[in-house]
Amino acid sequence: MSLSKFKRNYYGYFFITPFIIGFLIFGLYPVYNTLALSFTDTTLMSKNADFVGLKNFTRLFADDVFMNAVKNTWIIWILNFIPQIGIALLLSAWFTNARLKIKGVGVWRALFFLPNLLVPASVAALFFAFFSFYGPVNQFMVRFGFLPEAMHYLQSVPITRGLVVFIQWWMWFGQTVIIVMAGMTSIPVSLYEAAMVDGATAAQMFRRITLPLLKPILIYIFVTSLVGGMQLFDIPFLLTDGRGSPSSSIQTNNILMYMKFASSKGHIGAASSVGVLIFLMTSICALGIFYFLRDKDNSEIDKSARRFFFKKKSA
Amino acid sequence: MFNNYRLATNIQRVFAYAVLFILLVITIVPIWLLIVNATRSTTEIQQGLSILPSTHLVENYNILLGKGLDLPRGFGNSTFLAVASTIVTVYFSMLTAYGIVVYEFKGKQFFSNFIVVLVMIPMQLSIIGFYQYMSKLGLTDNYAALILPLIANAGGVFFGKQYLESIVMQDLIDAARIDGASELAIFHQVMMPLAVPGAATMGIFAFVASWNNFFNPFILISSLEKYTLPMLVQTLRGDVYRTEFGAIYLGLAATVVPIIIIYAFFSRYIISGIAIGAVKE
Repeated sequence: MSLSKFKRNYYGYFFITPFIIGFLIFGLYPVYNTLALSFTDTTLMSKNADFVGLKNFTRLFADDVFMNAVKNTWIIWILNFIPQIGIALLLSAWFTNARLKIKGVGVWRALFFLPNLLVPASVAALFFAFFSFYGPVNQFMVRFGFLPEAMHYLQSVPITRGLVVFIQWWMWFGQTVIIVMAGMTSIPVSLYEAAMVDGATAAQMFRRITLPLLKPILIYIFVTSLVGGMQLFDIPFLLTDGRGSPSSSIQTNNILMYMKFASSKGHIGAASSVGVLIFLMTSICALGIFYFLRDKDNSEIDKSARRFFFKKKSA
Repeated sequence: MFNNYRLATNIQRVFAYAVLFILLVITIVPIWLLIVNATRSTTEIQQGLSILPSTHLVENYNILLGKGLDLPRGFGNSTFLAVASTIVTVYFSMLTAYGIVVYEFKGKQFFSNFIVVLVMIPMQLSIIGFYQYMSKLGLTDNYAALILPLIANAGGVFFGKQYLESIVMQDLIDAARIDGASELAIFHQVMMPLAVPGAATMGIFAFVASWNNFFNPFILISSLEKYTLPMLVQTLRGDVYRTEFGAIYLGLAATVVPIIIIYAFFSRYIISGIAIGAVKE
């Protein structure tokens, strides 16, 4: 390496410096500050704050409220993730199936993706309007005789929770289809041809070729969806009263954090401790799944898949 | 045998189209009803469902304004914030990504992996510490608190890196160097023009992310005149509008229609951009 080239490579630091400074000021310090606050009884109203050790955390575990929020968040995420990935695999298999020749794949995909772009706050308010007592859903159900009389949907725990799950599914399945399909189309056709020569059935090919080669993509979807799902806020916040009603059944982690933050005294110490715990829970799950699943396998086909999708990173 | 095979394929095809059609109805009907109801009067909405628009758009708009919902200002605020966020995200993400892709420096691989980890960590959960810190700096109720953090947008850098790796031409950079261009000038004058398609895709995502963001402005912004559209949506849930269904639908439609229009023009960019983070071609 010549000297000038060596010197020139220092420009790499020059180009990434703004990012690093921005990250230290707006990324890392707030994380540190949140952690520091979580050990204090700081409120927005008082000037003085005392170090209280783990009191905020023990208090969170002492009552059911925190565990209930964690439970709700996981239930809502899992229930929407399963149909999301299921439908995405099904549609992608159809869209890439040379025998079926589905027409207008691009248009279907584009339309299914549309809800993902809409303002989540508006989507929640929209479904609130639809399912309110005088809303169109009641009109429809009563007029066509599905219900004898109008009902309060948003006072029922299963219906409200189901609605949050549905909205999340509705907003995200199109995006998952696009990613899964991109993964499927990048699997070499020669693999399927070879399998067909060997007399493999469609189901066998899906299980033995498609799924293993899709694994990195599926992990990516799983991790990004989990990270997003654990921070769910807009939809459950605006679908009912902002406190997770009915019976706190859609009170998620972030809603709980917000409620502590926005309480009359503004307990930001306690709110921070919620943030810290969810941060730890999500990061450990996400990074754990990502690295554990990605590096565990040794079979030949998985290695090729890794080479295929993670060329640089696994090197 | 051959006919059976064809029959089976045809049955499967019909089934597939039926499922696709049902999914399409589920996807489109809520959005369509939203737009239609924005043009109908409250009386019409209470009388029953309709899939055809009516003529009360202006009336609904006047009701909204009459109740003090400043839709034009919210629109302006959201637009300003989204445009500024887009510019900051695209410029700084491309700058960082260019540094990673073009130069060989010590710690490059570490930095690169670090970006991937940052993408997978819920940084948003430090919002409380962020809020308190911003209030010490006097930046609460200030758009700067929403825009400046985007200088370090890990998702943007990750996307930019994937994109630049596919287009960077070392020869072109070397040629510019021989012509005496500085490294920064090469980035601005040689690389950025080449990277326009990737920058546009990233820009659309940055725009939509800012436009749709509710949580951060909701925590950080307090004065009514700085409210963004999603924050105005939250006020629409209040008692003042309880019976004004047409106006509520219009308020909601106003937040989503601009995005639908952008999507109609740029859907190709958007769809091709989604998979970039996941699949390396």
